[in-house]
Amino acid sequence: MNATRKWILHRASAVILAPLFAWSYFSLISLSEKTYQETIYFFENPLFKILIIALFFIGFFHAKISLNEIFEDYIHDQKIKDVANLLASILSIVLPITILTLLIYKI
Amino acid sequence: MIDNQNPISPHLQIYRWHISSLLSITHRITGVVNLLALILIFFWLLTFSLGESHYELFLLVINSFFGKFILIGFTWSMSFHIFSGIRHLVWDMGYGLEIKTANISGVLVILSSLISTIIFWLLGKGLI
Repeated sequence: MNATRKWILHRASAVILAPLFAWSYFSLISLSEKTYQETIYFFENPLFKILIIALFFIGFFHAKISLNEIFEDYIHDQKIKDVANLLASILSIVLPITILTLLIYKI
Repeated sequence: MIDNQNPISPHLQIYRWHISSLLSITHRITGVVNLLALILIFFWLLTFSLGESHYELFLLVINSFFGKFILIGFTWSMSFHIFSGIRHLVWDMGYGLEIKTANISGVLVILSSLISTIIFWLLGKGLI
């Protein structure tokens, strides 16, 4: 990805992510006091499902760019850096897709 | 081995800490911690989808003393990263770059993150 594009996308994802992450985390704290049945009721709202799916896709996209920067600064061995970047890419694809599948078919 | 007496450049630990450098590294650390918080949300949804018995085990863990400690820590980490991120975005737009302004905004980030963590928990637990 072009560096300028990466820089802009990193900021754009941050702006969307800030309210999304705060809302999701707030929901987790509120639901930690509730039962399984009450939590089922929470997930009946399709908007909440969409927001959580967005959180995972945008969140991992933001995290992947950030991790690339961190690895660039602290890992000096090129091979280790490539492996670390590959792992970050795999994580940022697998976890959001798992969430997407779970929310569509299981929850 | 030849004893090299050449002077070397000063290392990070001998520099005096400034609020700017402290907040810069904390922004990175909280970013990584937030990734762990996102992974926790992943496990929340995963155990929920696996059924009631798995979900109750998850609730037991997060409602324990250790679990609450982690959750409060994650809340502060998220708050800090968001406020510090806003500070970075304002800088990116070219504002607030003067040393004095940057120091004041730095203190504001720390205070806001602490206050919002408290408000977040009081609201989340339905206490206010």
